[in-house]
Amino acid sequence: MISVSPKTILDTTTKIDLNNMSAEQKALDIKNLDLYYGDKQALQNITMSIPKGQVTAFIGPSGCGKSTLLRCINRMNDLVDHCRIEGEINLHGENIYNKHVDVAALRRKVGMVFQRPNPFPKSIYENVVYGLRIMGENNRRVLDEAVEVALKSAALWNEVKDRLHDSALGLSGGQQQRLVIARAIAIKPEVLLLDEPTSALDPISTLTIEELINDLKKQFTVVIVTHNMQQAARVSDQTAFMYMGDLIEYSDTNTLFTTPHKKKTEDYITGRYG
Amino acid sequence: MAIALKSTGIRQVKNSLAKWLITLGGISVLFTLVLIFMYLLYVIKPIFESAEITKVTSFSIKNDQAVLATGLDELQELVYTIDGNGDINYYPLTSLKQKVDVNNESTRVFQQSLSENKLVQVIDAGTDHKLLLDELGNVSLVSPKFQSIYDSGSREVIPNITFPLGEDFIPVDEQGIGFTHLSFAMDDERAVFVGYTKDQRLIKTTLIAEDDFSYDPAYEIEYQQIELANNQVNNILLSPDLAMAFIRSEDQVLVFDLSDDMDVKLKATIIPQLAQNRANPMHLTSMALLSGGSSILLGDSDGIVSQWFEVATDNGREFKQVRTFNVSDSEAVSKIYTEQYRKSFYTITESGDVGSFYTTSEADLWGGNLTGNIPDSFVISPRADGLLMFNENNFQLFSVKNEHPEVTWKALWQEVWYEGYPEPEYIWQSTSGSDDFEGKFSLVPISFGTMKAALYAMLFAVPIALTAAIYTAYFMTPGLRKKVKPTIELMEALPTVILGFLAGLWLAPIVETNLPAIALLFILLPISVFVTAFVWHNLPKNIKNQIPETWAPIILVPVLILVAYISFSLSPLMETYFFGGDVRQFITNDLGIDFDQRNALVVGIAMGFAVIPTIFSMAEDAIFSVPKHLTSGSLALGATQWQTLIKVVLLTASPGIFSAIMMGLGRAVGETMIVLMATGNTPILDWSIFQGMRTLAANIAVEMPESEVGSSHYRILFLAAFVLFVFTFVFNTLAEFIRQRLREKYSSL
Repeated sequence: MISVSPKTILDTTTKIDLNNMSAEQKALDIKNLDLYYGDKQALQNITMSIPKGQVTAFIGPSGCGKSTLLRCINRMNDLVDHCRIEGEINLHGENIYNKHVDVAALRRKVGMVFQRPNPFPKSIYENVVYGLRIMGENNRRVLDEAVEVALKSAALWNEVKDRLHDSALGLSGGQQQRLVIARAIAIKPEVLLLDEPTSALDPISTLTIEELINDLKKQFTVVIVTHNMQQAARVSDQTAFMYMGDLIEYSDTNTLFTTPHKKKTEDYITGRYG
Repeated sequence: MAIALKSTGIRQVKNSLAKWLITLGGISVLFTLVLIFMYLLYVIKPIFESAEITKVTSFSIKNDQAVLATGLDELQELVYTIDGNGDINYYPLTSLKQKVDVNNESTRVFQQSLSENKLVQVIDAGTDHKLLLDELGNVSLVSPKFQSIYDSGSREVIPNITFPLGEDFIPVDEQGIGFTHLSFAMDDERAVFVGYTKDQRLIKTTLIAEDDFSYDPAYEIEYQQIELANNQVNNILLSPDLAMAFIRSEDQVLVFDLSDDMDVKLKATIIPQLAQNRANPMHLTSMALLSGGSSILLGDSDGIVSQWFEVATDNGREFKQVRTFNVSDSEAVSKIYTEQYRKSFYTITESGDVGSFYTTSEADLWGGNLTGNIPDSFVISPRADGLLMFNENNFQLFSVKNEHPEVTWKALWQEVWYEGYPEPEYIWQSTSGSDDFEGKFSLVPISFGTMKAALYAMLFAVPIALTAAIYTAYFMTPGLRKKVKPTIELMEALPTVILGFLAGLWLAPIVETNLPAIALLFILLPISVFVTAFVWHNLPKNIKNQIPETWAPIILVPVLILVAYISFSLSPLMETYFFGGDVRQFITNDLGIDFDQRNALVVGIAMGFAVIPTIFSMAEDAIFSVPKHLTSGSLALGATQWQTLIKVVLLTASPGIFSAIMMGLGRAVGETMIVLMATGNTPILDWSIFQGMRTLAANIAVEMPESEVGSSHYRILFLAAFVLFVFTFVFNTLAEFIRQRLREKYSSL
């Protein structure tokens, strides 16, 4: 295992009081969220606020609902049959589950990166500009610039700048995942959701992605779901521990990992179950 | 340990047994395929083989009289000679045929006196007829036929001589002077002689049967003289239908119309283009009538044979030079001999070079020198499988292997100018009303028909099958998909004979009588689907919730039924107001388009139905198996469902969709029963949607039971099968190749 110094924790200059954030500080405000798959309740009364420009991690054992909660934030759960959601998630004070919300527009503001790298069977260039093209942007100069900016932000530019028009499927897994991140940030979202972005990658690629996440929070609010507690400790500013569809504990990462308030959290982070 | 070893042994045996069985299965499939391929080639091969002429035997006879004619029987067992004494002498061939190329002597087995008069000439007069001509212009018609008898278990061929016009000599020249040239033809009612007398009169003598020549030789005789401008006659030929006389007079051919018994008129003059302004001017040197009597062959001094027949032009029917054959580069064409039943002919030049040609296919079949001179008598055996030549009391027998002269690659795939047609055309007409016309074997119209049927079927099937596949795989709820997909796949099991039967006997008349309704359906059905979808989308939620989401598409069913009902009710009205009461009349008369009841529209719909399940099933699988993480990726970037479908799903599924379409096309090309029953089987070259067609598969199914085994027709049908095989092979290989390429491109998904 590669050891990584928890520099994100050290870098955090201003501590945010998670329970008393001002409206400007909040990126997302989740209130009394319940989610049902058919008759089965998967999330129970989740209430939390995610601060702007920081990295928030969801941790917890398999099936605890952390990915489900993440997918609520850009309404990817809409695609699941028999899925019913109650409560609200506010983005800039507006409930994204309001009737008249345009889901496509919402997803442009809340980007998402999945567990497995999923580049489209197109060229690297076309993958990055996909989000722009579907918005109707076809100006070559705008697209070229967006590709360069996005790939540089995703720390991929130097590796692929000479083969932008080769198939994206020829990249390695780590490169593909960074390409997918570049694709997501090319449309300049406000929130970036990462659903176990490194679980399918090797340790070196994982390291690169983690460093990238640290850079990304300067521009975006990052929410990451991870299975790996060390990763959460390394990259996140806040951590939420979930268990069986409940939000057990939510505090700044340092506190959660050093002095957890709840017994379940302590049991989990000390490896008693999980 | 011992037990473990033992069980390993059994496992090994099972393993290698399974391996061998599977290998055997695979190899035998390949072997069967190769065997089919080889058999097709084996049957096709003879039609592309060139002709062969080989010497069988030669023998001399003892005869002190001049031999005027020779002949032989169908089985080449007996030959005969007719000599100046009026005797017919028979010689056996059977024993001689074994001794190849030896100069034997043959002894006469049979002799009969045919006439008391001394003969000066014996003229060939069509099938089995010889005309005996004496010095005074009297003739006797003799038919030296043969008869097989089967005594004591073996076959024996014996002569059977008859006199169709009686044994008495007929005074053809009223003045009794005698002929230099005489030609003869007869049918059951009349026998016509056209001759040129020694005192330069061109006369026509007609024998009119009192009853019927086939059983009663009694006749009345009628004499006529024909006006002739210049007193020069080189050849006289009569067409077998007694309609025309061709008289070669120096370098032109005069064609007389004999159809009017009373009045013989000059119908046309054939003047070939012959180069005159040079040291040795060109001349006509020979003339022959091709089998069937419609074409005339003219040989000239430059060694070229030209074929002429009547062609419909703006000025009525005219003789036209249709094609030429280069027989020799330096020598004149001395003689032309034509086959009895086929459009083949043989030529002989002065030095005895023999050439064999087939007119329609323009095939130069064989060339070579057989005897080194022009034989006194040149006989083509009745089955055209042998040549008998006689020169100075010496017979030479040759065998001819030339079974399919009419088939050449060019005749199969290019335009051919058939007798009586105004211009070269692509024609498939394997049998004709009369033996005088040859089978016309162009594979172009039926290959075209195959393409046309497949194209119209694909035009109908591809949009429906693909949109259905997209909807089922991408938008439909899983519950409904589970029911819909197997149901459509079940359609594939529907016997095509039922589809063909329904198309031909039920759908075709409906389409014919409700043409405006069908046109309206093609427009209104898609529109009504969109309108219904739009209305449904904008309905208030509480109404929508009445129907479970799974069954929401069902609301289309009443709409579609209603639209169909409205279309059919509007049909008669539209016919009355827009098409003057009858669409068929309107299309035929006002638009000038031919209308068949069984047309491409009907075939397109019926075969489209047969092809839809194939395309649907494969395309649906391809679309459904597009990884979910790709669609989520696209949706997460803010793409709508539609954008995701177009930009990601269809792109990724394209190899599967492509091969689905190609499999559908392969099926449409090879489909037999539907096209057989619903196309009308008219082998025409026309893209019109209101015309039928004939496809390769249907053609084989229709004609194979009627074709004689081993005939050209039979072999060409096998060739059609081979072409069909190649078609489907090419489509499937192309599909597989492109699919592999695309799959490689998307393999790491």
